[in-house]
Amino acid sequence: MFAKIYLLIGIAVLGLYGLSAFRGWELGTPKREFVPADVRQSPGGYRSFHFWHSGFHGGK
Amino acid sequence: MSPVEVSCPACGAPITFRIGSSVVAVCEFCKSAVARGDKNLEDLGKVADLVETGSPLDVGLKGAYHGVGFELTGRAQLGHEAGGMWDEWYAAFSDGRWGWLAEAQGRFYLTFQIPMETPQLPSLENLELGQPVAALPGSVPLMVAEKGEARALGARGEIPYRLTPGDTYYYADLSGPHGEFATLDYSGSPPVVFIGREVSLNDLGLAGATAPEREARHVAGVQLNCPKCGGPLDLRAPDQTERVTCPNCSSLLDVNQGKLTFLNTLKPGKVVPVIPLGATGEILGGKYTAIGFMQRSVEIEGTRYYWEEYLLYNPQIGFRWLVHSDGQWDFVEPVPPGAVQPSNKYASFNGQQFRMYQDEMARVEYVSGEFYWKVTQGETVRAIDYVHPPQMLSLEMSVNAAHPARKQTPEQIAAHKRSVETGEINWSLGTYVDTRTVERAFGIGKLPAAAKPAPNQVFPHKKIYKYWGLLTLATFLLWLVIAISAPDQKIFQQTFSLQPLPNATSTQTVFTDPIELHGNRNIQVTASAPVSNSWLYVDGDFYNDKTGLDQSFELPVEYYFGSDSDGSWSEGSTTNSVHISALPADKYVLRLEVSWGDNYQAPASVGVTVEQGVARGTHLLFTLLALSVIPVIVMIKHFNFSRRRWADSKFSPFQSS
Repeated sequence: MFAKIYLLIGIAVLGLYGLSAFRGWELGTPKREFVPADVRQSPGGYRSFHFWHSGFHGGK
Repeated sequence: MSPVEVSCPACGAPITFRIGSSVVAVCEFCKSAVARGDKNLEDLGKVADLVETGSPLDVGLKGAYHGVGFELTGRAQLGHEAGGMWDEWYAAFSDGRWGWLAEAQGRFYLTFQIPMETPQLPSLENLELGQPVAALPGSVPLMVAEKGEARALGARGEIPYRLTPGDTYYYADLSGPHGEFATLDYSGSPPVVFIGREVSLNDLGLAGATAPEREARHVAGVQLNCPKCGGPLDLRAPDQTERVTCPNCSSLLDVNQGKLTFLNTLKPGKVVPVIPLGATGEILGGKYTAIGFMQRSVEIEGTRYYWEEYLLYNPQIGFRWLVHSDGQWDFVEPVPPGAVQPSNKYASFNGQQFRMYQDEMARVEYVSGEFYWKVTQGETVRAIDYVHPPQMLSLEMSVNAAHPARKQTPEQIAAHKRSVETGEINWSLGTYVDTRTVERAFGIGKLPAAAKPAPNQVFPHKKIYKYWGLLTLATFLLWLVIAISAPDQKIFQQTFSLQPLPNATSTQTVFTDPIELHGNRNIQVTASAPVSNSWLYVDGDFYNDKTGLDQSFELPVEYYFGSDSDGSWSEGSTTNSVHISALPADKYVLRLEVSWGDNYQAPASVGVTVEQGVARGTHLLFTLLALSVIPVIVMIKHFNFSRRRWADSKFSPFQSS
């Protein structure tokens, strides 16, 4: 019984793998947003998160 | 040769020697065994009356073996030193040979005398139980299964050797892997060799031979009265039973030709059978009646461990056992001794290797019901168990103390005074049966659950490994299909030259022309920059002007290198990639906001490539990891299960030697 449950879970994992390849899914993809065109096109109206953040400082 | 008529030297009644090579004929009137020599007839003494054993055979029956016809001309009953008895039938074949057809517990063994000119055979004293006898002809080794002493009891008809009533002789029975059988008769010197095999009535052309009275008794059983207390008791296998206990007064009774003899009063047992004696149940394809119950024990390191055995009986199948130990059950059936090849701590049977689990002296503590051998309380045998789940091979070896044959002729005693150990080995094969099966088979209530695994219990989740393997294989195949079919299409590639920045926190932003992205394909963005002990950081977005959908990503590129006391080192790369889930098919502007703080006063460049439909090994790895979580947990449980399974064994593979 337990083995059959595992088989079902395994088939689901395999299916998810196949589906992710078929649909082009990627793990860890950053969040998507909808930014209206008028907001984006207004002067200074849109800046990315990193614009407000202190920025990248390198690895060393 | 025509029949020879003679007069019985004892009573004068006519005796006919129908077969030219027969040696002894039993007078039907006075039961004298009459031997014919060159000139005179000799009266060898009176034989006992034959005991009715319910055999389907009879003197005068005709059959054929391997196309050669035969007739059963005689029968002898031979007594075993332990008290049992078996039949020997003598078959005169049409080609002049004699066949010895032994019948014991419903099995038949046909052997023929093999002339061996040189005395290559080991002496009886040097025969070892369970060891092969190399000197015998034949392609397979024959193992010594029994060394015993037989006594000629009753006889009838014509017999091909000099059978003297009451004489005893030593013999050894040998067994081969596929039903081969041999007997070494040590009544003379050198011993006489008989080789053959186990046969069925069908093999002998005697399939129609039946014993009607036997069948009738099987159905009805026999009701007798205890000679001790007078209480009633049933015999459920009357033609096989050698011992029975009285359910009223716990007397152990000997059974001889339907007559009961009081032997002793049994000590009361400390355990009650969970399967009532007389209960009938269907298990592993056969319908059996529980006719006997015994408790046995072994002593290990000063502690005595007990288990229970139920003797099952089916007239067509024979005897089987249900063994109940520590809440676990085994269905046990006999195995021909020659079919097992023991070697050191292993035994091979039927192509499988069994590992030794226990080797102890087993003692009978308590008996109840009826048994086909002369069981006694306190009797001990050496018991060795070998396991290969779900099966267990068990060897029981009984050795009787050395003693001279009880009755030998003066010539025999003078010729070879023997004092040898006799004994026999019995192999049996147990198959693990779960408790529910036993409950259902015998309609008994809920039995207590076992506290630990049985020595031959299969790990219940073993099938997961098979599924794990199949799923892993399927994953690799799927990965292969994905990798082959992945379009891996380059959508965009451009190198951007960037002017120096005013300060370290400044960024420079560039926009691309709209890029056509396909739906349902992942996106790989790769940035390359000639960084050297420095970094460049890309903050990017795919932006859809029509829908306002914005997919941001970060792509740092950094590469450092140098040397220290450990030697040269490097870290990072001049190239880095990021993977993004597929976006809806449409045109997107790629916005890149770049900073390179360490060298902001110098110009910089960055090459950006966008690809779609890239096969990803990371997904394969994640899938394999996800599929392995449960099997790895099961493997840990399996290991613990196996350790507990071997916990009671002196030969545990988990013990450090």
